[in-house]
Amino acid sequence: MADEEETNEYRWESGYEKTWEAIKEDDDGLLESNVAEIVARAKRKRAALKATGAIQLGMMRHLFVVIDASECMFLQDLKPTRFLCVLKLLELFVHEFFDLNPISQLGILTTKVKRSELVTALAGNQKKHIEALQQMKDTSCEGEPSLQNSLERAMNGLKNMPAHSSREVLVLFGSLTTCDPGDIKKTIKSLKENNIRVSIIGLAAEVRICREIAKRTGGTYNVLLDDHHLKELILNQVQPPAVAGSMEASLVKMGFPGGKTGSGDGASDSAADHAPAYCLCHIENETSCLMGNNSGYNCPQCGSRYCELPVECKQCGLTLVSAPHLARSYHHLFPIKPFIERTEVPEMTHCFACAKPFGELDPNVYECENCKQIVCLDCDLFIRETLHTCPGCASDPITAQMKTN
Amino acid sequence: MEDKEERIETPLVAIVIDATPAKKFASQAIIDNGSTMMNRIFDALIGFGNAHLMQGSHNKLAVIACNSKSTKFLYPSENGDSKSYHNRPGQYDMFAKVDSDIRHGLSELILKDSIDHDSTTSDSLLGGAMARALCHIHKIQRELSLSHQLKPRILVVSGSSDSALQYMTFMNVFFTAQKENVVIDCCMMDSDSGLLQQGCDITGGQYLRIPTVVGLLEYLLWVFLPGPSCRSKIVLPPPTKVDYRAACFCHHKLVDIGWVCSVCLSIFCKFSIICTTCNTEFKLNRPAIVPSKPKKRPRME
Repeated sequence: MADEEETNEYRWESGYEKTWEAIKEDDDGLLESNVAEIVARAKRKRAALKATGAIQLGMMRHLFVVIDASECMFLQDLKPTRFLCVLKLLELFVHEFFDLNPISQLGILTTKVKRSELVTALAGNQKKHIEALQQMKDTSCEGEPSLQNSLERAMNGLKNMPAHSSREVLVLFGSLTTCDPGDIKKTIKSLKENNIRVSIIGLAAEVRICREIAKRTGGTYNVLLDDHHLKELILNQVQPPAVAGSMEASLVKMGFPGGKTGSGDGASDSAADHAPAYCLCHIENETSCLMGNNSGYNCPQCGSRYCELPVECKQCGLTLVSAPHLARSYHHLFPIKPFIERTEVPEMTHCFACAKPFGELDPNVYECENCKQIVCLDCDLFIRETLHTCPGCASDPITAQMKTN
Repeated sequence: MEDKEERIETPLVAIVIDATPAKKFASQAIIDNGSTMMNRIFDALIGFGNAHLMQGSHNKLAVIACNSKSTKFLYPSENGDSKSYHNRPGQYDMFAKVDSDIRHGLSELILKDSIDHDSTTSDSLLGGAMARALCHIHKIQRELSLSHQLKPRILVVSGSSDSALQYMTFMNVFFTAQKENVVIDCCMMDSDSGLLQQGCDITGGQYLRIPTVVGLLEYLLWVFLPGPSCRSKIVLPPPTKVDYRAACFCHHKLVDIGWVCSVCLSIFCKFSIICTTCNTEFKLNRPAIVPSKPKKRPRME
């Protein structure tokens, strides 16, 4: 009957996690190498979790974010209140989203008092969304949320989007109840028919209907553990998702303004191209900016002026982007293979990428399969997460060629 | 300037030198006191490096050279062994070290290349050198204590024009630099480079094409020595209008209006049925043609 000696103790009985036992002194009585090893292992584990592979990603995304603005969002389990914490994290999300998916569009909806409201329509301009999120800080949270109303409104917005884009909805749901006018199962069915993927992040506890919506539409459902976890969950949605099922591929016509004149492609350089003009992006407000000579971008098809890219031309409907916007997503398509872990190689005394000498703190070094250059752990993480190019392969005249040819 | 924050500003300049010999010096003759154009250029670069180190005691320098065969860290020296250097009495020790490391490294790089004479045809490996510079900057940032604030920038000195094959490497380097707040400046000697212009624009740096190579040191000291924080106070050469058009994947010529594959984002100048990069077939907006049944011919028995 006495199960004090039993190895599987419950946490509250007496089985504390003795984390200090994980750190041991080495022969000289120093802790440094042990700590460095633990840190290195943690870093590698995080990096290895990211899957690499030749899967098709949905690059052009149309995403609706639904924010729960009901009464329960005033609870203070996330500081200062759930609502303000979520808004702050969403500002970061919007910034990262447009950084990584420059040709995508985002829209924001809220749900409260059993209805749902549109805060910003689907647009590719991040400033507008960030301003809207900042203004939302003062709105009050009241009533009960309605999942069905918000999903129906999102569906109305996404239905008319072209078939080659990836249609998604992200719901930040803090309540344990929902008040719907009709049968939500019909909504789920029509979401599935329209190929809309719904991902839900729960802020309180797991709700069965949310799990079902996410499963049926092919999205993810997660409930947060604490605010760091919430940040991680929200930022996971920034990465383009793998395409489930068949997505129709099509060639989209896009314009690339900002070129030097005299390209000889048939477009004549009229004086109107460089004259001062009002930009069309702000022409409906009174803040339309007067663009001087040579500033702003002209649509190559209709000649209207815009102050920033990417934008959809209001006059002729052509999507205008610049080449770096598309190039930002290219690293998803040509991922670099993970480096092979090796114990120290005696002939290479320095990391190839940063010229750091290998010391005792680096038990493992990493080798690239193509160019056989050795880099240290920190450079390996930097290359994998930020740089997306192997410096060794770029420094070798044979492998420096672009693979698309 | 440093009163509000107690952190010491540590500017770091990484000079990336393109030492591809052919195009730059094909037309340059040996000038006056017997020193070749190449020597003058490297003298100017060493002078600039030392001038930067002289600005503050915490300033840091890194020099990387590249040609069409390989890239090499000149300073800090790659092998870690410091060759013996001869410094004039009264000269700051570090200047002599920089001088000797750079000269030794460059001579090794050029001698290694001179064995094989194919270097005139292939492109310079500037992308790889810039990637190594970024990794080095990242390392210095990690190693610096919290009381220092690193202000990194990269100066590219080159005479080669663009290579379309390294487009991906260049764009990855530019986006990484933008993310890490590294400013990329560019000093072009002979020709213009559209890619480097885009890079300078993306990161907020200065692009300059100098008319005479002989005055390289003066241009470097005037335009590129002040850091980004001081640049608003001085009058610099006007920014160039950057050509942001994309090059189509089939012919590598710049297009105004192109067709973009929705799966892999490759750009084509003409509408086609299949994407050559990802091999997806595109849906055509045509009414379906009903195939006619093949009629069987009656057999003649």
